[in-house]
Amino acid sequence: MQQRTIPCQYFAPQKIEEALGILFRYGNEIKVIAGGTDLLVQYYDRLYEINHWLDLKNIKELKDIRINKNQMEIGAMVTHTQLEVSEDIKKYFPILGQAAADIGSPQIRNRGTVGGNIVNASPAGDLLAPLMAYDAQFRLLSIQGEKIVTAEEFFIGPKKTILEPAQLLTQIILPLPSERTYGSWIKIGKRKALIIATITLALVVEMAEDHKTVKDVRTCLGSVAPTPIEIKEVKKKMVGKNFNQLDFAELGQIVEDKISPIDDIRGTREYRKDVAKKIMIKALEEIDSACGGGSYINE
Amino acid sequence: MNKLNIELTVNGKKRKVETTTSTRLLDLIRDDLHLTGTKEGCGKGECGACTVIMNSELAASCLVLALQADGADITTIEGIGNDKCLDPVQKAFIETGAVQCGFCTPGMILAAKKLLEENPHPDEEEIKRGISGNLCRCTGYQKIIDAIKLAANRLSSSDSGRGEKDA
Repeated sequence: MQQRTIPCQYFAPQKIEEALGILFRYGNEIKVIAGGTDLLVQYYDRLYEINHWLDLKNIKELKDIRINKNQMEIGAMVTHTQLEVSEDIKKYFPILGQAAADIGSPQIRNRGTVGGNIVNASPAGDLLAPLMAYDAQFRLLSIQGEKIVTAEEFFIGPKKTILEPAQLLTQIILPLPSERTYGSWIKIGKRKALIIATITLALVVEMAEDHKTVKDVRTCLGSVAPTPIEIKEVKKKMVGKNFNQLDFAELGQIVEDKISPIDDIRGTREYRKDVAKKIMIKALEEIDSACGGGSYINE
Repeated sequence: MNKLNIELTVNGKKRKVETTTSTRLLDLIRDDLHLTGTKEGCGKGECGACTVIMNSELAASCLVLALQADGADITTIEGIGNDKCLDPVQKAFIETGAVQCGFCTPGMILAAKKLLEENPHPDEEEIKRGISGNLCRCTGYQKIIDAIKLAANRLSSSDSGRGEKDA
């Protein structure tokens, strides 16, 4: 067969443009690899099926975390360890750093990347709820040009995204939050290390200038629906209200009612519904006690 | 399947190796370089038996393509000590009885070594987090934790570092 003689190839270009050209030429026939911590698990016993690799490891501009005017741009090849230790992430997006620190193990965090976590699109991906809660947008590049999409538009199902074969996720764009922004991150799993989340919650609350009135809220969860989701009904209930007048139990109930978890090896639908409510209340309490400080505080 | 050439540094030596697109770094280390101290446990990044130090960072070599390691600097358990001159972490593992079946030990020692490099005085929680990517089914971990504490004490009270005599 002619096909079998096609040589296997491995590309590790230094420029994004080169990578886009290779992607355009090979489309579905090439596998893009970032850290490989998800990919090599998925292909554990069938690595031979992949004949062509596009490794992004040499593209330096994909490894930067930088602030550009009012936004932060995180390169797709930034590792979980980089997110965990970055002072800028701690300052502006603390719960993203905390979520990164909760991923896998040192071995996984050193190699796994934010771009890989996003493109893999597991409903349980640890970074996805925090990214959504911070209003992340994703920059998708192809030789035809750039497209910027929200996290909500990007994820369409378990392990399904709108990313086309010739497109590359290059950057994650996060608007810098005001100083009156507070976050809480809660991950529930059967052990601390190397666990895929049973449920995750990322709650981000922005207060108005008076430090008492809720200006904006994003309540995002993972492992409770086909994609990471935002519970928008919480926003409707909270915005414009004084934080200490909120009914936390009622808000927890809204979260419980609006999620659509399934039974799986990590937990039942019933368990996830119960826990969702409880962790929502806990997250609200954490933010309530942090609000007094008036700076970027969490937990 | 056609072969591709890569060059990497393993335990300080430059190595040129022929490999394939479906070879993992773990396979290259064990089967091509015959460095069998690095073990395969789960093959899925869960157990840490295949841990190596890659470009100064801990990595699960079962989750790295050999081709991804082109140009990389790799340290395996064979690179940190030998029968005549053990690393202080290895000595501490022996003395505290932190080795039983021994299968997790190479990965565990590399994780411990990396932890002490970054944090010479870890507390118990930091030690647990440092070895959280490495499973041991024999020891119950306590003796491993004791060994890391012992190694930390010796390293900080000795200027000579690697290969020093027992205190």
